Amino acid sequence: MFSRRRLLAGATALGGAAFLPSIAHAKGSVAAAIYPGTWEEAFRAIVAPALKKKDSVDLELQPLFAVDQVAKAKAARGAPPFDAFVLDPGPRITAIQDGLFDKIDIKKISNASKLPAGLVDEWGIGVNAQVVGIAYNPKKVPAPKGWKDLFTDPWVSRLGITGFQTTFGTVSLIEIAKVFGGSETNIEPALVELKKVLPKIAAVGQPAAMPGLFQQGQCDVIYTNTQTVATLKGRGVDIEFVKPDTGAITFLTTLHIAKGAAEVENAYKYLDIVAGKEVQEALTKPPYNFIPVNKDVPLPDYLPMKNLDEMSSYVRHDWAKINPLRAGWIEKFNKEMAK
Amino acid sequence: MRKLAEWQLALPLALAFASIFLAPLLMLVGVSFFNDDKITQPGFGQWAKFLGDPFSYKVIADTMLLGLKTVCATIVIGYPLALIYLDASPRLQKVLIFIIVMPLLLSVVVRTFAWIVVLGREGVVNTLLMQLGIISEPLRLLQTELGLVISLTQIEMPLMLLPLISVMSRLDPNLRDASSALGASRWRTLFKVIVPLSMPGLVAGCLLVFASSTTAFISQTVIGGVRLIYLPLLIWQQSLVVFNWPFAAVVSLTLLVSVLTVVSALSYLGRRSGGYVHG
Repeated sequence: MFSRRRLLAGATALGGAAFLPSIAHAKGSVAAAIYPGTWEEAFRAIVAPALKKKDSVDLELQPLFAVDQVAKAKAARGAPPFDAFVLDPGPRITAIQDGLFDKIDIKKISNASKLPAGLVDEWGIGVNAQVVGIAYNPKKVPAPKGWKDLFTDPWVSRLGITGFQTTFGTVSLIEIAKVFGGSETNIEPALVELKKVLPKIAAVGQPAAMPGLFQQGQCDVIYTNTQTVATLKGRGVDIEFVKPDTGAITFLTTLHIAKGAAEVENAYKYLDIVAGKEVQEALTKPPYNFIPVNKDVPLPDYLPMKNLDEMSSYVRHDWAKINPLRAGWIEKFNKEMAK
Repeated sequence: MRKLAEWQLALPLALAFASIFLAPLLMLVGVSFFNDDKITQPGFGQWAKFLGDPFSYKVIADTMLLGLKTVCATIVIGYPLALIYLDASPRLQKVLIFIIVMPLLLSVVVRTFAWIVVLGREGVVNTLLMQLGIISEPLRLLQTELGLVISLTQIEMPLMLLPLISVMSRLDPNLRDASSALGASRWRTLFKVIVPLSMPGLVAGCLLVFASSTTAFISQTVIGGVRLIYLPLLIWQQSLVVFNWPFAAVVSLTLLVSVLTVVSALSYLGRRSGGYVHG
């Protein structure tokens, strides 16, 4: 039989065990969600040691795509499994609308002054820019000039496309729609044109599978970002980036502090170090090939622009308008493209 | 008293089962009966939307057909392999079982990407056929149902072979000898003696292969591409891209019910054939 004393002793031991993780936290750690793949490798190799060295804070990385982070944080209802998000514009807006972020106090991020205006707001900071355009294999096809070329030979029969699941896929399809008379909120013309050439198209794939399909020669023209192109090139793949004649697309990747985060102060330190010159410069180098946003860091020479200001002429999109339409677009894409 | 003790032994598993399987399943059912993605308005809206759309039935049918085609292909290739195993020397049997189990030791992601290398436009199959002069243009194998069934057949093969082999190696060899001594041909012995007696293993293999191939999200999307739409892709899109969890719950339950229906039908057939053997 359990005596009251033994029960209490057991309960105290259990209660004590529950405190263990927070003791570990007290030594200094921060849990940050990170995109799987290049981002995870880069942050593990560069950001984690930098944060440990400067602030003695351990960085625990949780590899999750943007949409997965939002889904997990929503499901956790106020007790997020990580302290910081890394997001693209679409999921960022969803997360703001669902109240998943804490507002940030910009005074706590000293490197914020090194970021161009527009990269810092009440919800977080931009730490990386993505530039999306057309990638092609120069040994197989000539360089296309713009989105319209992708629908004619020789490109169309070597074209690999993805749908609206990702940010880069969505913005590319919007730009295609614009070329054929559509707009940011009307993607119909893109689907009409795609349907016409569908039997010829080389691949309609999952976004994550596209680099592999390109590498294997299944398709020789895709829409993607400069980082993917630089990474594949680094592995010896024949690939070149083209800025479409209607303009390259750009969007920001932003860091945010989760509402209810366990380690708010360490999360600030994490945001600060990622925006800093040292980390930004290291992330720019191969094999990571990030586009830096810190004004003190020079841009790598393979990029289609000379400086960050030039990017202001690039095409941007309003995700507050896109998000509500996206579910319908995904459904439509399924039905139109299904065999 | 002893019975009570046995019952208590099963309790931890029962509790674990109830909390990590039954409870989430009930929540899934609950969530499916909400009209909006914020899960605030109860109703049948999502069910009506899914069941009122002819496209849904096409996706359900395609998913079930994919499972059935994979099952057929694993039987056609797996059954002869099991027969070879049965006749092999103990040493060869060890080698065979290693080859059969080996794919299970590799991550399904690795196996799936390996199939891209094999079936791709510049992959092993196309290069070989072109060098032999059999074809002049590369065949389109990736992103087709044929390519998907071929790769799923390899990926799911251990699930067919392991139950099949475990049942077949328990068959009494005297029965085969008796059959041939009584004048039956090898084919007659196969279809009248071996196949009926191996039925429990065959049915178990079919159930596993069917359930696993209809829900093989990675292989379906990476090898099949997104023009071949199956229920797992819809669930992923609705739950993780669109965040419409009630609709995702509806599709998940549909997949669960459709797979369970086919699986029950298969095990009913298995029981009937078992009765035929022993009856």
